[in-house]
Amino acid sequence: MRDLLDPPIQTLARAGARDLGRAAVVTAMGFALYGFTVGFWRSPVMGLYVAVKMPLLIACTLGCNGLLNGMLGLLLGSDLGFRQSLQALLSAFAISALVLGSIAPVTFFLALNAPPPDSPQATTAHAGYLLSHTTLIAIAGCIGLLRLRRLLEQHCRTRRIALATLGAWIAGNAFIGAQFSWILRPFFGSPRLEVAFLRDHPMRGSFYEAVWASLNRLLFDSVPGLPGFLVLLLILGGLFYWMHLRLNQPRHTRP
Amino acid sequence: MTHTNDPTPPPVPAPEPTPQPEPRLEPLPDRIDIRNLFEALLRRPADLAGHPSIDTPATLGRLAIMAFVAILVFGFVLGTFAYHEQLWAAPLKLGVGLIFAGLICFPSFYIFSCLAGSTASAGRLASLLGATLALAGLLLLGFAPAVWIFTQGTSSFGFMGTLSIGSWLVALGFAFRFATTALKVQGARQRGPIAIWCVIFLLVTLQLTTSLRPILGRSDRLLTDEKKFFLQHWSETAGKSLTECRETPGDE
Repeated sequence: MRDLLDPPIQTLARAGARDLGRAAVVTAMGFALYGFTVGFWRSPVMGLYVAVKMPLLIACTLGCNGLLNGMLGLLLGSDLGFRQSLQALLSAFAISALVLGSIAPVTFFLALNAPPPDSPQATTAHAGYLLSHTTLIAIAGCIGLLRLRRLLEQHCRTRRIALATLGAWIAGNAFIGAQFSWILRPFFGSPRLEVAFLRDHPMRGSFYEAVWASLNRLLFDSVPGLPGFLVLLLILGGLFYWMHLRLNQPRHTRP
Repeated sequence: MTHTNDPTPPPVPAPEPTPQPEPRLEPLPDRIDIRNLFEALLRRPADLAGHPSIDTPATLGRLAIMAFVAILVFGFVLGTFAYHEQLWAAPLKLGVGLIFAGLICFPSFYIFSCLAGSTASAGRLASLLGATLALAGLLLLGFAPAVWIFTQGTSSFGFMGTLSIGSWLVALGFAFRFATTALKVQGARQRGPIAIWCVIFLLVTLQLTTSLRPILGRSDRLLTDEKKFFLQHWSETAGKSLTECRETPGDE
């Protein structure tokens, strides 16, 4: 257990089938246990569905991005092969799974005590439930990422390589993970909608289009050109930040 | 000079962690097969660029096959956005487009690499360009599963276009890094000419997305003879969706 929570550097170098299997089993069990408590508030059947879907979400994300993660690891100079990249990412997910699995009794207690989905306070309860679980998942994710960062810093030749690899992995997995969470919805189970394993036409639409449409509805309907302007601002901000990083890099002088 | 009497010693800066040395790897074999090429492209670009057999026709052929097959697969994935004739048209256009871009940019690659100080022969540079495109293709293969997920979900040209171009830019970024490293191994000392060539190649490939249109959407013609600059085409189609395109064939 301690090895999983604080994986030694040898685990990464070895990346044997046993290490991978153990991390995968712990990840699946931790997320399944926690997932059950997430869906349980809506109904016990929903709990079972989410217990299957949460590990599935991780598996789909890692499976879909496996090749890309391995290639980015090699290209950015981390010297991590495909198996080692998978081991590193699974280790991070295993840590998050252990954190979430350990608080599953608490969240189960929360589900038991929250106003039921058919009560007049269901909407408020759902919002609070959503917020608390999102916070918990974010905290567990951050812990996993911090441990992954430490592992990469120990393995990679320089800190910069470690951070670049970590950044690339986070960007790639978050991007596709968000879409898989859209496909595999519902997780929390809105009180107004029926309990279902997947929504009708789960592949239709995308997470990002939904976010964009919501943003448009909420903020920009009154100012038509604002979304484009904000995107432009974001791109320029990113460009300036990149230039700032480049300019502050230590320069190596030739002897 | 009050600071000389200050009893508190100045803070000692924390020592910078010493970078670990690069791991010693076995030299690449004399005959580089596809598997070795794959590993060398990702892990050891400098070794590959300096390898004695990089300029042989066999190696160039293998690199070209890698690039072509990878782009065909990525094209097929893009073709699943609209299905029908795009399942074969999109990979064909991307494959032909990549070869075309490589061919028309090769003379400038030679000239700009010479300007940068490289002493590589034309044959070696052809292989390096092949390796650059092969690396970009491999990265696109890595993006392909993720892109496929989105082709099945969205019908927006703006979204799919951004995703495809974004994937291409990331892949090309790493490919250009490889080309820069490879040319340095060949004696290049200046970055400027290489950077200019990279911009030229990028613009050519971006224009090809418009010249070879439709790549994402459907049309009753395989190619269009209407001339447009890529920025104009993108701005015109960004807000459209696949369903609109079906209603007005030939529009996208």
